[in-house]
Amino acid sequence: MSIIIRGARLIDPSKQLEQVTDLHIKDGFIETIGDLTGIHSATEINANGMILSPSFVDLHTCLRDLNQIQKGTIASETQAAASAGFTHLCPSPDTQPCSDAGSVISMIKSKVAIAGFCDILPVAALTKDLKGTQLSNMESLSRVGCIGFSNANYDISDNTVLLRCYEYAATFGLKVFVQAQDRQLGSGQMHAGPTATRMGLDGIPVIAETLSISRHLQFMQHTGVSGHFNQISSAAGVALIRQAKTQGMNITADVGIAHLCFTDTAVKGYRSQYHVQPPLREESDRKALVAGIHDGTLDAICSAHQPHESAAKCAPFAATAPGMATYDMLVPLIQGLVDTEDLTWTLAIQALSFNSAVIALRKTTSLTVGEEANLTLIDPGHHWTLNSSSQLSHGTNQALTNQNLKARVRLTIKSGRITYTM
Amino acid sequence: MTNLANLQLTERGELRHFLTPEGLDRLMLERILDTADSFVVVGNQEVKKVPLLRGRTVVNLFFENSTRTRSTFELAAKRLSADVLTLDIKTSATSKGESLLDTLQNLRAMHSDMFVVRHGDSGAAHFIASQVTPDVAIINAGDGRHAHPTQAMLDMLTIRRHKGQFEPLSVAIVGDILHSRVARDQIHALKTLGCSDIRLVGPNTLMPQGIESMGVTTHKTMDSGIDSVDVVIMLRLQTERMECAFLPSAGEYFRLYGLTTKRLAQAKPDAIVMHPGPINRGIEIESAVADGPQSMILNQVGYGIALRMAVMSMAMSGQMQQRQAHANNPPGLIGEQRS
Repeated sequence: MSIIIRGARLIDPSKQLEQVTDLHIKDGFIETIGDLTGIHSATEINANGMILSPSFVDLHTCLRDLNQIQKGTIASETQAAASAGFTHLCPSPDTQPCSDAGSVISMIKSKVAIAGFCDILPVAALTKDLKGTQLSNMESLSRVGCIGFSNANYDISDNTVLLRCYEYAATFGLKVFVQAQDRQLGSGQMHAGPTATRMGLDGIPVIAETLSISRHLQFMQHTGVSGHFNQISSAAGVALIRQAKTQGMNITADVGIAHLCFTDTAVKGYRSQYHVQPPLREESDRKALVAGIHDGTLDAICSAHQPHESAAKCAPFAATAPGMATYDMLVPLIQGLVDTEDLTWTLAIQALSFNSAVIALRKTTSLTVGEEANLTLIDPGHHWTLNSSSQLSHGTNQALTNQNLKARVRLTIKSGRITYTM
Repeated sequence: MTNLANLQLTERGELRHFLTPEGLDRLMLERILDTADSFVVVGNQEVKKVPLLRGRTVVNLFFENSTRTRSTFELAAKRLSADVLTLDIKTSATSKGESLLDTLQNLRAMHSDMFVVRHGDSGAAHFIASQVTPDVAIINAGDGRHAHPTQAMLDMLTIRRHKGQFEPLSVAIVGDILHSRVARDQIHALKTLGCSDIRLVGPNTLMPQGIESMGVTTHKTMDSGIDSVDVVIMLRLQTERMECAFLPSAGEYFRLYGLTTKRLAQAKPDAIVMHPGPINRGIEIESAVADGPQSMILNQVGYGIALRMAVMSMAMSGQMQQRQAHANNPPGLIGEQRS
């Protein structure tokens, strides 16, 4: 299969490349980069004004399926991921049944392969059924392709068990993913602050995050485990990660797209679409998260995609399920951050592609002749409306439904094959 | 998203739901108080009924236990001549697994005109009014720790009837602010009605984060909190707060924050003392104060019926206007998010 993309702005942070030119894909690999005048292909894309980058890698997503098909299927959610420019996904282990057994991982992988939109790099459960009492078969799970281990949103309270988890992971050089939130302090519904106070909702203080980060950092330091923190939400959390990195610790961290774009005031009016965990915090926190992307404290941006059926969000706020379906709005949200000069596309691509690939795939992705063609083509000027006919995720919990949006993925290519086209 | 004022008012600015004083202007709050004043008189008549809600069906939906609030709402609806149905939902539908959405849709299908809702989740009444049954008048009888607007407004009625103007007043609200659904609404109402010195008194464990952003001052001691105030509002302390480590003991709480005759002497000589009830004698308040000449606690109960009659009649009238205006334009599907 041969595809020619003409006149795109190629952005490749790994080579500090930013150049308007043509790119030719042949038999799954990048064949040529440069002026392709006079050369033709069966599939040609006029990409004037568009951005071409290495494809995106998602470090935290929920694909639902298995026993949660009312929220989304692997086919629907991986297709939505492809429409957001992703080719590789790291699904969270809080599936039903839990991703704590090789058989579950194999089933998920086979469904993903049949759908054909993305490859997955599963994060398996750190403890059996995420209960925080018994270790999962980490070594065996790593053999079936699990790239790391996490206890998802179920913080392990027992320090003895947590120490064993880290010691066992260290034995086999396995990576531990952490959703840092203290279980007891994190039992509220939104960020503890003036908005929660006015609305009478239980607050989750910033210390719920910082206490957990500090605790896990100590375990990582003690055991030498390489750790990755998912969805940092607060300025104080960014500061702790920065300090640990400065001290030379082998850790990485990401931020969810929602936390980069929204704050706790979005919850006003009991808008359950903005009920997420960890909670959306204040503008000063959001600014610190943006600064964390700029200085490299936060390596990656993840989708934290969590689709829900409408009933899960149609109840009094405290009774609604946390989570936001983000795939359909991810690129417009990034464009919004570019328009407000919070980010540049180069920085965004570094966080969505280059850095996340290093963390999940342990290799760099780049626009280089001879490399496997995993690419995302974005039209930053495309105006469209997100609604039930344009969205691909089955999740009805899209915060920006019926809004006019700017920017959209034009094309996603995985191993030289088009997995999404607008 | 519908803001609080738009949600509670008709297109012509009349009350159609009463969820919280937040977002309502001074004129509307004063109209509620004026209407309530007129119903205080009804309560003193030999025949206590007026026909304002004749032929209308009011359903009291209590997802939480509350003898006192439930009975005053029931009495208020009966004095307005409404047909009243009181459902203790906790022991009926929802315990059989029916969702809140389905319970309400069933009641709506019975052509109910007004729901009086008490629910343990903050925002429950707001959710029902905005997304489930926008064409049924909703009166919030308490949602989680968010709001309890009829209690707050009956407190305003008590203050106005005994103190007149709100502008010159200093008001102290003492106790468990964190868990109080009334305190937030009292603050909104006092601010809107012109009161500028609102003091919250309590330990840090019972003081919600960022409450100062509502335009109040916080005080750790009774000495500074009630010094020279005109009104002292004591909040009820749930005994389970001790079990959850908010407080060490009832004894220490009373020693630090209990209202005694001696402490009350620090307030203005003509200060009034209020409490939403039921009171815990010897925990929040000394009996001599609760039963003393400055106590308004029993007056509050009487005003509560009048105030509830006022908001029920006003909201029903607004809702009827809105229904007529929309007679040729049916409301959206149930459960559909309104923009």
